[in-house]
Parts: sequence; structure tokens; C-alpha cells
Amino acid sequence: MKKIAVILFGLFILLVGCQTNDSPETSEEAAAEESTPEEVESEPNEPVEVVFWHAMGGALQEALDQIVDQYNASQDAVVVTADYQGTYDEALTKFNTIAGTDSAPTMMQVFEIGTKSMINSGGIEPIQTFVDAEGYDMSQLEENIINYYQLDDTFYSMPFNSSTPVMYYNKDAFDAAGLDADTPPATYQEVEAASKQITESNPEMKGFALQAYGWLYEQLLANQGALLMNNDNGRSDTPTEVGFTEEEGKSVFEWVERMINDDTFANYGTNGDNMIAGFFAEDVAMFIASSANVRNVVDSAPFEVGVGFLPYPEDKDREGVVIGGASLWMMNGKPEEEQLAAWDFMKYLQTPEIQGAWHASTGYFAINPAAYEQPIVLETYEQIPQLQVTVEQLQSTVSSFATQGALMDMIPEGRRITETALETVYNGGDVDTAYQSVVDQINAAIEQANRARGE
Amino acid sequence: MKQVALPYQEHEHKGLLKALKLQRMASFSKGMLFLLPSIILFSVFLFYPLGRTLYLSFFLTNSSGQTTVFVGLENYMNIFNSPIFLKSLQSTLLFVLYTVPGTILVSLFLAIIANEKLKGVGLFRTMYASTMGISTAAASVFWLFLFHPSIGWLNQLLKLLGADAIGWLTNPDWALFSVSIATIWMNSGFTFLILLGGLQSIDQYLYESANIDGAGYFYKLRRITLPMLSPTLFFVITVSFINAFQTFGQIDMLTRGGPQNETNLIVYSIYQDAFMNYQFGTASAQAMILFFIILILTLIQFKLGERKVHYQ
Repeated sequence: MKKIAVILFGLFILLVGCQTNDSPETSEEAAAEESTPEEVESEPNEPVEVVFWHAMGGALQEALDQIVDQYNASQDAVVVTADYQGTYDEALTKFNTIAGTDSAPTMMQVFEIGTKSMINSGGIEPIQTFVDAEGYDMSQLEENIINYYQLDDTFYSMPFNSSTPVMYYNKDAFDAAGLDADTPPATYQEVEAASKQITESNPEMKGFALQAYGWLYEQLLANQGALLMNNDNGRSDTPTEVGFTEEEGKSVFEWVERMINDDTFANYGTNGDNMIAGFFAEDVAMFIASSANVRNVVDSAPFEVGVGFLPYPEDKDREGVVIGGASLWMMNGKPEEEQLAAWDFMKYLQTPEIQGAWHASTGYFAINPAAYEQPIVLETYEQIPQLQVTVEQLQSTVSSFATQGALMDMIPEGRRITETALETVYNGGDVDTAYQSVVDQINAAIEQANRARGE
Repeated sequence: MKQVALPYQEHEHKGLLKALKLQRMASFSKGMLFLLPSIILFSVFLFYPLGRTLYLSFFLTNSSGQTTVFVGLENYMNIFNSPIFLKSLQSTLLFVLYTVPGTILVSLFLAIIANEKLKGVGLFRTMYASTMGISTAAASVFWLFLFHPSIGWLNQLLKLLGADAIGWLTNPDWALFSVSIATIWMNSGFTFLILLGGLQSIDQYLYESANIDGAGYFYKLRRITLPMLSPTLFFVITVSFINAFQTFGQIDMLTRGGPQNETNLIVYSIYQDAFMNYQFGTASAQAMILFFIILILTLIQFKLGERKVHYQ
């Protein structure tokens, strides 16, 4: 018994050690942040430090760091410190726990579905304040992006990185199957037919993969003009239930089910990296993913890659896509000079030169259309014409409530509900039950979220 | 005892009682003083969070976790009506059932063979214990490669054998099993080390006298090794049980609770509700349920286990 006690005690010490480790760190951070404004006041020559939280990992982080370094080198007044805070979800969770305290960053990148949640958090300063003070011209930005981020004539955040879903396909496999590699299938039905032909010509290869990802489901709905939430996607009033009809909501599930029955569908579950690896390994010929991957996929694939528009059901018209990606938020409760410094950096990010470089090195589109005239963009287009597809898709989008995207704070939860249902169908589950569970659970989540606001 | 032997007198008795009381008080406060460090640590890191969790479980919260609406027991009723939570309970129990016996049998086997006095056995001991030094994250990434549906080694192997590929992490029939295998592998190092330590501390004279009596290898294993190892086994079982109930890292890395919530173990479900859906109330209610499950199981283990455990 003694031995056990000793071991347990040892484990306990270890545990406590781990827990206490956290606190000094955070207090140090807090202390560092507290001291910054004082330093600035006493020595006016000292540059203002702007802490910038972002969620760009991997190749995207490299591209972003490069821009930040460039900005820091370009002037002496401001130093931007870019901190990677994990995925969008993780970063938002971290922010929520420290919103309004001294540990909060000066500015932060938040994904589009966090918009409502950020406004409700009370820790932010709408950038409209700075736009008005300076008379900054927001209309120079891409119209579709303005549509998403302008709420009641107010810009709460500065758009930054935006992408849309596109369909990637293996041109070599298309040629081998006798398909026209230059015209990608545009409708669900064409995708099914192409998948069949590919699988027939090469039994080793599946035709199509759809990652079980809630964002893609939302996009496939918007592309057929369906609303995700009622009350005009939450833009005229807080949503009270889902906004799509049964026919619209089921279309995606049924499309996948038909391909599963044809044995042309590759199931990679919720894992996007596995799907892209499968595409590189020529296990699947087509998949849908964010345009932010274009540069990476085209550069890394051992075959010729084509990029096409997001498919839609044959009997509908293409409505277009919702802006995906993220925007930059200014925090309140920070010294004014720190906010102004962050505002200066935000404006810097909107310049055509920076947007051009960002677009060319990632696949996010330039939110400032003037960037498309930049030499770096024109040069890259010659090498990688696929990058243009995402821009064309966005510019051909019809502006409507469907393509403006839904505003609601429980969308992240809704995405997970959809993902579970998609997986159920991928594994041979019944479409009707899966669809009904999506509607029931999302409606329950909406109701819960509305109640929890305590209004 | 001495005082009781004194001649009986009313007023003396009273004074005696007082003295006894004082003595008891003194020894109680001395005891408390010794316990104080751990009481403070427990209060700050365990009892306060526990109370806070209980409090939160009666409320709805906003996204920063502040309470907004008091709902009483509604969170509890909701989770017990939610198919996702019931599924998650079921998966957790299955997961415990797969991993605890699995880990213990594998590491017991390894510990027994590594306990033999052979040349170079140190190398094997290091090898078997080495998974202890690998973080959950690193191990998960490694298993992620093995499990990859098309380019993973496991499916490549199946292909060589002429079998169909298995969706290790994407097929709902396999996912929990696959995560369990990875977990057994990850946990076996630590369990192996503790069990080997237990084996090494068994007195050699027991084996010597058994040898003199002409006992066979398996007889010694059953009659000496296992009973003498029982305190260690008991510790390992209890710890593995609690660990299995609290599994989080490999789920987050390997499946994120999918496919179809098949691997959505209870701690992961709590994490999702609290930090991704910002429903701290529901999450706290689930945490309380988990607390009671572990509490009850541990009590049962102590009641049942202590009878079977043989202390030297």
C-alpha cells in the first residue's frame, strides 16, 4: 500500500507541476503587455508593438510571416508580432477566454462564421470607427467580400484572406478516360457520369471525393441558391430554424449516395489531408476543397491538375459561392496608439502589392481587385492559370442572401452536426434519417443558442 | 491509558475529559498542518473546479463561459435524451473494455518475458518501455500514417496479401477498434515498466523453495508471480481505467470523434461542447456524469480488488 501511496503522490506532484507551470507564463505575458503602453508613453521613439493572433499554419504561415517581416522592415513606428494560435476554432476559443483582459491581442484573425460570435463577445472595436475617422475608402475592395462583412452598414472587421471552394481534378486521368480535360464537369450529374467513366477506364481509381466538412455542405447549398438559416440567412433577424427546403438539403446527400451506389465515391471521412494525399497518389480523380490549396496542389501533384467551379444540381441555376476565409478584428480596451498602429497594418495588408503577393503565393484571392494588375500576379497566372478559376468563380457569383452567407453564432456546431450526417451517408446510412437528424439537431442548437443569449 | 488508572473523582474526571479534548484538538490541528499543503493544492486545483463545474452545469452560458440563464437540471435531462451523449457513453465503455484488458495483457506478457535473466534482455526492456517516451501527439501522427486509407502501411500490407483495404479510421465499424489498438500501443510502455518493477521486487526465495518442491513454470506463474504481483496489478488496473475514461489526445488527432461519433469518447464530447460549441453548461453536466462514473467504478474496484490483492 505504501508503494502505491508513494507512486500516487509522485503522480500528483507531476500533475500539480504541470498545472502550476501555466500560471507564471500567463502572468508574464500579461506583465509584458501591461508594460508596453508605458514604454511607449515614456519614449516616443520606441516603436509601438502590435500583437497579431492568426490561424495560418504550414505554408500559409510562411507566406504571412513574410508579409509581416516586410511590413516591419518598411517603417520604424510599428512592430507587428504575429502569433500562430492554432486552427480557427482553437484561436477563437483562446480569445473567448481572455476577451476584454490585458492578455488579449491587439488584433486577431477570425474565420467568417465567428463574425457573430465576435460581435457578441463585447471585446472588439468595429473598424468602422477607424474607417469613419480617416475617411478610408472601403469600396475599393471586392464587392462580394464587402457584401459578407458589411452588417447594417457597419464594417466590424477588416476582410483579409478569402477563399471559395473549387473542384480539383486530375487532367491526366481525364485524358486516359477519354474525357475532355479542359472542361471540368459542372453539375452533379456530370460529375457522376465522369466518375463512372474514370472508374471504368481505371478500376484502381475512384471518381470523386467529398470531404465530410460542414463548410462544403454550406457552399453546395448556397451554389443552388438555398439559405442555410431562415430570416434571410440571419441577415434580417436572428435565425430561428434552418432555411433550406427538404429538396435542397437532401440534394447533396442523394448525390453522394448515387456515387456510392455506382462505386465511384472515395470516402476520406473528415480528413482533408488524407484526401489530398489520396489525390496525389492517384486514388481519386476529383475532389472539392478550398481554393487556398491551389498553389500547393498544383505545385505538388505529379500530374497535371485542373481546377473547376463548384458543381450544382442540373435542374438548378448556379448561384455562386459564399466567401470563406477570415477577417481581422480590432480589440477594444487597448491604448489608442496601439489600435492606430494595428489599423495602419490592416491598411497595409489591403494594398494591391501585398494582396497580389498573397494571392500568388497561396490561392486566397485578392480582396483588392487592383491586385490582379500587379506584375507578380500576371507572372504567376502564366505559370499557374488555375489560380484564376477561383477569381472567376467569385466574380460570377450572384449577390443574394444565399451567397452572402449565414450569420449565426452556432454555425461551428451546425457544421459538426452536418459532418456526422455526411459520414453516416458515406458509410451506407439512410439518407432520409441522416437528413432528418441534421434538421432536428441544428434546429435544437439554434434554439439553445438563442436562449443562452438570455435576451 | 495511564490516566484511566487514576482514582476516580468527579472533578478530576471533568478535568481529565478537558485535557483529553485538548490533546485531541492539538493532535488534530497538527495533523491538519501536515495535510495543509495537499489540502490547499487539492482545493485550488480539484475541489474548486469541481464545485465550479457543478455550478455551471445548472446554467446556460455565453461564448466566454459566463452564466446567462438558470435552467436547473435541464442540461442533465438534455444530455440523457441526446443520442450523441448516449452514443458517447457507449463508445467510452467499449473503449475501456478494449483498452484496459488489452494494455494489461500485452504489458504483462512483455514484462514476464522481459523479466527472464538472459543476455541482452536490457535492450528488449528498453524497447518495450520506449513507447512511454513518445508523446501522444507524436504517436498519433505515426499511427495516422499507418492507418491512411490508401497509402498507409497497414492497407499496403493487406493489398500484398490480396485482401481488401480497410477504412481504419473512416469506417465506423473499425474506427473505435483502430483507436484502441493505437492506445494500447501508447499505454503499454508505462504499464510494462510498472509491472516489470513489480516482478523484480518479488523475493527470489519464493521461487527457490518452489523449485525445491519441483513446481513447474506455469504453476509458479499462477501461484507465486501473479499473487505477489497483485498490488502492482491493482494499481495498474485502477490507473488504466481512469486513463481510459479520460482519453483525449489520440481521439483529437486520429478521428476528431468521427466517423459518425463512433469514437466520440466522453472527454472529447465535453471538449467539443465546451470549447467548440461554447455550451459550457451541457459540457459541465457531462463532466459531472463522468466524475460519478469514475468515482463509482473506483469504489467498486477498491471493494472487490482489495479482497483479492495480496500484500506482503
